[in-house]
Amino acid sequence: MRSFSEYNPIVITVYIFSVTGIAMFCNYPLLIAMTFIGGVLYYIVRNGRSHSRSHLYFFMLFVVLALVNPLISHNGVTVLFVMNDNPVTLEALLYGINSAEMIVGVLYWFRNFTQIMTSEKLLYVTGALSPKLSLVLSMALRFVPMFRRQSEKVSDAQKAMGLFKEDNIIDDIRGNMRIFSIIITWALENGIITADSMAARGFGTGRRTHFTNFRFRRGDMIFLLTDIILLAICAAAIAGHKLEINFYPKLRSSTLGAGALTGAVAYGILVLLPVIAETEAFLRWRYLKSKI
Amino acid sequence: MNGIRNRTLRNTIRVSVPFLIVPALTLAGSIVFDRKRHIIISLAIAVFSLLLFAAGFEKRRTGTRRMVIAAVMTALCFAGRFIPFLKPISALTIITGIYLGGETGFLVGAMTAVLSNFYFGQGPWTAFQMLAWGLIGLVAGILSDPLKRSRVFLLIYGAAAGLMYSFIMDIWTVLWYAEGFDIKLYIAALGTAIPYTASYVISNVLFLSLLAKPFGEKLQRIKNKYGV
Repeated sequence: MRSFSEYNPIVITVYIFSVTGIAMFCNYPLLIAMTFIGGVLYYIVRNGRSHSRSHLYFFMLFVVLALVNPLISHNGVTVLFVMNDNPVTLEALLYGINSAEMIVGVLYWFRNFTQIMTSEKLLYVTGALSPKLSLVLSMALRFVPMFRRQSEKVSDAQKAMGLFKEDNIIDDIRGNMRIFSIIITWALENGIITADSMAARGFGTGRRTHFTNFRFRRGDMIFLLTDIILLAICAAAIAGHKLEINFYPKLRSSTLGAGALTGAVAYGILVLLPVIAETEAFLRWRYLKSKI
Repeated sequence: MNGIRNRTLRNTIRVSVPFLIVPALTLAGSIVFDRKRHIIISLAIAVFSLLLFAAGFEKRRTGTRRMVIAAVMTALCFAGRFIPFLKPISALTIITGIYLGGETGFLVGAMTAVLSNFYFGQGPWTAFQMLAWGLIGLVAGILSDPLKRSRVFLLIYGAAAGLMYSFIMDIWTVLWYAEGFDIKLYIAALGTAIPYTASYVISNVLFLSLLAKPFGEKLQRIKNKYGV
C-alpha cells in the first residue's frame, strides 16, 4: 500500500465524498463521533503536532456552534434552566453539540482533502469530467503569477519614466490605477495571442494529455472497491432505519441491534482507511530501512 | 477517459438532469426522507446543475479565444479575492456576463469559486458558491442590454446580487447546521452576516461604478478587434 495521498485522485475524491456524505446524511451520534475522530486523527497523522492554531480555531468554532442551538431553539421537554424567560433545554443542547461535531468533523476532512488534492490533481479529476473546464482552470492558475510579474515590470517602467512618485498619495493612487488599466489591456491581448498560438498548434483537434500521469493501479481498484462496499453496508443500515435518532421533543434513538452495529462498524473502518494506509506505508518503510 | 466529451454520456446528462433527476430528487426528498435530509438534496441538485452546465459547455463549440478570455477574467477575480474587506469577484463576474454573454459569466463565477477555495478552503459549500456566483454572471448576461444602457440599473443589480449571494449562502449555512430549514436560525444567521452582506453590497457597487465603464470598453475593443 502507498500512503493515502499517493492514491489516484479520483479514488481520493470518491473517498472524501463518501465519508462526508454519510456524515451529512445521518445525524446518528455514533457515526458523527466517528467522522469527527477519524478526521482529527488523520489530520494529526499527516501534520504531527504542528498546526495547533487551526486546532484552536476549530475548537472555538465547535463551542460557538454547540451553544447557538440551545440559545435559539426552545424545543424539547427537559428544561435545564430559564434565561431571559426562555427555557434552555437539554435536547436542544445535545442537538447543538451533535451538529457542531458534524460540521467541525466535516471541516477537518475537507482540510485534509485540501492538503492532499493539489491543484494538479483537481485538474486531473475535472479533466476526466470535462476537458474544456479543466483547461480554463489550469490557464487561470497560470495567469495569476504571470500578471503579478508583468505588473512589477510595468510599474518599474513607469517609475523609470518618472510618471509617479510614491510618496504622494494622490499620485500613487493615480499611478496604480494606470498600471491596473495597462495590465488589463495587456492581459486580454496576451490571452488572444495565447489562444491563437494554441489554435495554430492544433489545440482542440485531439485528446489533451496531462503533464502528470496518474495511473489507475491495482491498489487504487482495491481501495475504491473497499470504499464502495463499506459505504453500501453503512447506507443500507441507514436506509433500513437502523441508525435513527430524534432529539425533539424527547431524545429517542433506535436500539443498537445487529444491523445498526454492522453499519457502524463498516463506517468505522471506512473512516480509518487513510490512517490504516498511512500506518502500513510507514511500517513498511521502517522495515525496508531496517534491512539495509 | 473521455468524460463528458463522450457524446452519449453528454446527451444523457443533458436530457436526464433537468427532466428526470432534479424532479425525482425533489420528490424523493419530500416523500421518502424526512426534513433532516434537505442538505443532501440541495447539495445534489447544486452538483447536478453544475454538471448540466459542464455538459452544455462541452458540447458547444466555444472558440479557443473566448475560453482564454474567460481564463483571464477568472484569474483577475481570483487575484481580487485577496483584497481585504472588498471583494471584486461579483462585480467582475457581472461585467463578464454583460459583455461576453451569460455562459461565459457563469463559467467565470463558478471557476473562481473552485480556484480560490484552494486558498480559502474547499468544502461542501464550494458547490453553492459556484452556483451563486455563476448565476450572478448568467443573469447579468441575460439582462445585458438594459444593464449596458442604464448605469443606475447596473448599480442596483450589483447591490441586489450582493444581497442575494448572502441570502443564498445563509440558507446553506442553516441547512447544514440544523438539517432542516429553521426560520429563527436563518434570521440569526442573516443577523450575524450583516457586516459581510454590507461588504458585498458596498464592494459590488463600488467596483461596478469604478470598473464597469473602462473594463467594458476594453472587452468591447477586444471583441471588435478580434471578433471573440
